[in-house]
Amino acid sequence: MRTRSISSVAAALLAAAGLLYLSGETPSAQGQTRPIPRNADGKPNLQGMWQVVNAASWDLEAHSAEDGIPGGLSVVEGGTIPYLPAAVAKRNENRANRKTADPVGKCFIPGVPRVTYMPWPFQIIQTPKYMVMSYEFAHTQRIIYTDGSPHVDALDFWMGDSRARWEGDTLVVDVKDLNDKTWFDNAGNYHSDQLHVVERYSFIDADHLNYEATIEDAQVFSRPWKISMPIYRRLEPNLQVIEYDCVSYFWQKFIKPPTP
Amino acid sequence: MARTKTRVLLLATVAVAGLAVTGGSAAGQGTPAKSDAPPKAYSPPKTADGQPDISGMWEPGPGRPMEKERGGKPWQPPAGASGQNGAAYTFFPPGTQLPGGRSADRSAMIVDPADSIIPLQPWAVTRRDEIIEKQDKVEYLDPRVRCIQSGVPRANLPVFYNSYQFLQTPGHVIILYEWNHMTRDIPLDGRPHLPPQIRLANGDSRGHWEGNTLVVDVTNFTDDTWVVGHGAPPEGAPASAITTGHGVVHSDQLHVVERFTMTDKDTIRYEARIEDPKTFTRPWTFALEAFKRGKPDHQLFEYACHEGNRSNVLLSTGVDIEK
Repeated sequence: MRTRSISSVAAALLAAAGLLYLSGETPSAQGQTRPIPRNADGKPNLQGMWQVVNAASWDLEAHSAEDGIPGGLSVVEGGTIPYLPAAVAKRNENRANRKTADPVGKCFIPGVPRVTYMPWPFQIIQTPKYMVMSYEFAHTQRIIYTDGSPHVDALDFWMGDSRARWEGDTLVVDVKDLNDKTWFDNAGNYHSDQLHVVERYSFIDADHLNYEATIEDAQVFSRPWKISMPIYRRLEPNLQVIEYDCVSYFWQKFIKPPTP
Repeated sequence: MARTKTRVLLLATVAVAGLAVTGGSAAGQGTPAKSDAPPKAYSPPKTADGQPDISGMWEPGPGRPMEKERGGKPWQPPAGASGQNGAAYTFFPPGTQLPGGRSADRSAMIVDPADSIIPLQPWAVTRRDEIIEKQDKVEYLDPRVRCIQSGVPRANLPVFYNSYQFLQTPGHVIILYEWNHMTRDIPLDGRPHLPPQIRLANGDSRGHWEGNTLVVDVTNFTDDTWVVGHGAPPEGAPASAITTGHGVVHSDQLHVVERFTMTDKDTIRYEARIEDPKTFTRPWTFALEAFKRGKPDHQLFEYACHEGNRSNVLLSTGVDIEK
């Protein structure tokens, strides 16, 4: 009867997981370590509102504060980005012109990985075949395929083409087909259209994810390099995406509203 | 390194293709709107949490005029009208093959009021006439040509450059729009709307299922989108002849109730009731077969609207977004 009792325990666990999936919420139990939320299929459930809290969007590397810019530690493994000698000049030029040249300042879609650590929250929506990341900044949207489908060919996208798989409890997102028009940060760190990003999302605990992105671009960097940072769950009840409609603010500078 | 460029929106496409599948044709005479009939009984399969399963890939349904001519008299463009100026008449001549097709039914989508005319307050009529007359001035540009989110219900009107993905998670319906990468997360748990201080271009959506119909209550709008509207009208066309709903503005009092009903496995009938006492003399309702089932391997592609809008921005503001 041992087998049966194990299977009934498993069934109970499965039912509990199913309930969790149905509720779509993280159970709250203050003062206790809550388990990582999981779906009925056992996969971690990443649904919710998330946000990175650091200064990476201004500069991935260690930097002092400046007017309007918070200082911060480096999020780059080893501290500095391994540029090819010939590629540094462009970064320096970008940096010198950052106030006007940063693509994000023109309301352009931020690209991957920068969108992750912009100082705005984002929502993760999860179904068995698709994950959607819905970012407040410029209502940027990513549809991440977890159905084993291959990358599209011969097109470039601002946000690239994202195909993901699970490695144990880690969501591994392979991002290709990125264009060469986005920056990694406001400090002018840049890439070519040969950029290939592999992101890894894994739970630290129920309310924190560890985020890693491996960056590969043989035209600009001497070797692949890695950034990592925590992503924090936004715990406010009923928080939802409140879009930062950058483009409409851009146009408002040129349009006098009519008076009805 | 000559790789194919991102699928971006070029100015020419915006200007000319502002014209929608709904058509700029001054048609709209004739038979009563067929969508006036109550939705056919169809019971879709259920999702794991018991919702009618509306998920999947969807493409725009066939286009029809929004309303009837205000003057009651069809207008024809002058001979030789072409390009943008004649767009509404020449870009999609009858018989053109469009993704959703051009409906043979040329009746107006408005099912209430019975005259199929948008019940605009006098100031809104004046505003609309101004918009149609001065459409190339920055203050009168179609917000969607500026790549502002389309707003609701406009987001659901068929245009050939859009497609949709509907997702369902327990307690939520999520609609992804290809055009301008818009996302709507519609909670079904009866939570209240956002506080009125928070304003969103696409509004704040709260939904529930009434049988097999998804009913969505949308409030908290900004006042800088258009309710409906399609296409750059041809130059010289009297505003009274435009049947696309072009230039129908709204106030922040806009309140929309949407009804999504599958009428067969490949069709969603969409109905929107529009209420805004500052802008309209009474609530009004339109309905159409807005969504047709897409292929299972259909994908939404990134529609980088603003990023590809360089010429339009330059023309309207003098700012070169690529410098």
